[in-house]
Amino acid sequence: MPELEVRNLSKRYGKTLAVDDLSFEVEAGRVTGFLGPNGSGKTTTMRALLGLLRPTRGQALVEGRRPTEMADPLRTIGAALEATAFHPGRNGRNHLRTLAAAARIPRSRVDEVLELVELTGAERRRVKGYSLGMRQRLALAAALLGEPRILILDEPANGLDPKGMRWLRDLLRAQAAEGRTVLVSSHLLSEVAQTADELVVIRDGSLVAQGSMAELTAKGGVRIRVRASQPDQLATALAEQGATVGDVGEGGFEVRGASGEQIGEEALRQGIAIYELAPQGSTLEESFFELMGEEEDEA
Amino acid sequence: MNLLQSEWIKLFTTRTTWAMLGIGLLCEGLFAGLFSGLVSLDGLTELEELETTEPVPTGTGLLMVLVLILGVLIITSEFRHGTSSSTFLATPKRWPDLLAKLGIALAVGVVAGLAFVLVNGGLSIPLFEGRGAELPATDRLVEIYAGVVVSFALLAAFGMGIGAIVRNQVGAMIAAIAFFFIVSALPELLPGSIGEYFPAQALGSLHGHVEGDGTLNQLEGGFVLAAWAAGLVALGTLLVCSRDVSE
Repeated sequence: MPELEVRNLSKRYGKTLAVDDLSFEVEAGRVTGFLGPNGSGKTTTMRALLGLLRPTRGQALVEGRRPTEMADPLRTIGAALEATAFHPGRNGRNHLRTLAAAARIPRSRVDEVLELVELTGAERRRVKGYSLGMRQRLALAAALLGEPRILILDEPANGLDPKGMRWLRDLLRAQAAEGRTVLVSSHLLSEVAQTADELVVIRDGSLVAQGSMAELTAKGGVRIRVRASQPDQLATALAEQGATVGDVGEGGFEVRGASGEQIGEEALRQGIAIYELAPQGSTLEESFFELMGEEEDEA
Repeated sequence: MNLLQSEWIKLFTTRTTWAMLGIGLLCEGLFAGLFSGLVSLDGLTELEELETTEPVPTGTGLLMVLVLILGVLIITSEFRHGTSSSTFLATPKRWPDLLAKLGIALAVGVVAGLAFVLVNGGLSIPLFEGRGAELPATDRLVEIYAGVVVSFALLAAFGMGIGAIVRNQVGAMIAAIAFFFIVSALPELLPGSIGEYFPAQALGSLHGHVEGDGTLNQLEGGFVLAAWAAGLVALGTLLVCSRDVSE
């Protein structure tokens, strides 16, 4: 049984279909990246999994059950939805205390998670004075409070500095390594590229692709620019092997669907000298947007 | 119990709550002191004969309004600041949390009511006695003050009900005040006794201010007001349980 299951989920707001017949599963012990441009329905899907909104059609299941039927919610799912969802006048520690009290979690755990997210020292300051990064950490602390089996994090990297991003990556990897389920959304592939084992890519509320990181980047196809001594001959040979080859011009040509190794070995077989092999663009990012069919999307 | 504790922490870890109760009590104290020290005793005696009011307790009504608003804030601040998501993650069925919020609204009303009684009684009674005014009998005073405490609790519950229905903080505050003090006072102008069953006049009965033919007594006024509060809280709970939480 998958830990999280979205089954033919649709959610309509007035005339807008925010999520359209979406289905995917999330397994334990791995980090699953939930990718899509802003407004593609990621947050709506996550809210349905958390029982905060009612699907128009279909189901969102947690450990095979409807989220409203969870016996011990904070020990089952921890969620960080928005880094702004705090009472600005309440301090960080008291925010966590309200949740701990509701779920019968000992107060000592509040101090533990504050230390874990490195907010010790700021916990008695009102949230009003927190930076975006600190709010993200507080949201994460709330998610981790009940040591839940499942973590659902909506754009947790927003507002984190590079050091914070690395810290978050390590934290998520450690959680997955302990056998927990981690679903983390982002509109930037580069944010989850180094963390996610699995990817679920959506666009306009529908599934675009699901698979392992390696599968999806290969499928999306990295473009490689090739300059060689006999470009026409090499281009033809690569095309015969099933790669997609662009027009041959003065600057060489572009290949998609073949790795650098494959191109180099083919050139060797043909006795062609390679002058240059250059992956185009920020490769992963590009392949992601090509998958989504929208290269010009804001990144 | 754990949810009550959670809601109690929520309410008393913001400055708003303390400021509202503090300012309300301060004003009530100032008013009680000035009124019982300076008001003309002749006028009071006359009023007493008409049996419409008595020397104590007299308040400004400010604390009462603030308690009503505090009831509204108990729930709307969750929607306003987006903490409703984490609250309802901890209680996915939602209604147990609303029940706890109701408990806290009633409790904070009782606390504010008792504080009012302490401040008002503590200042007015000795001041009036010192000036030789004739105070109501002790059991009458107890009745009146008990009515005040109960009314504060019901007002907070009333506000919480409106807050759950309206959700928008400013909208709910305006709705609560407008409905309680203006709209529900209008039927008083109608012929017959229909107005007695609206919150404004029921509150008057509960306070022991209105006594006479065809009006509700204190206990009946309390029941009418409690029925309004219960109805609003029940409707609000149903709505909160069925609506999407998207903030």
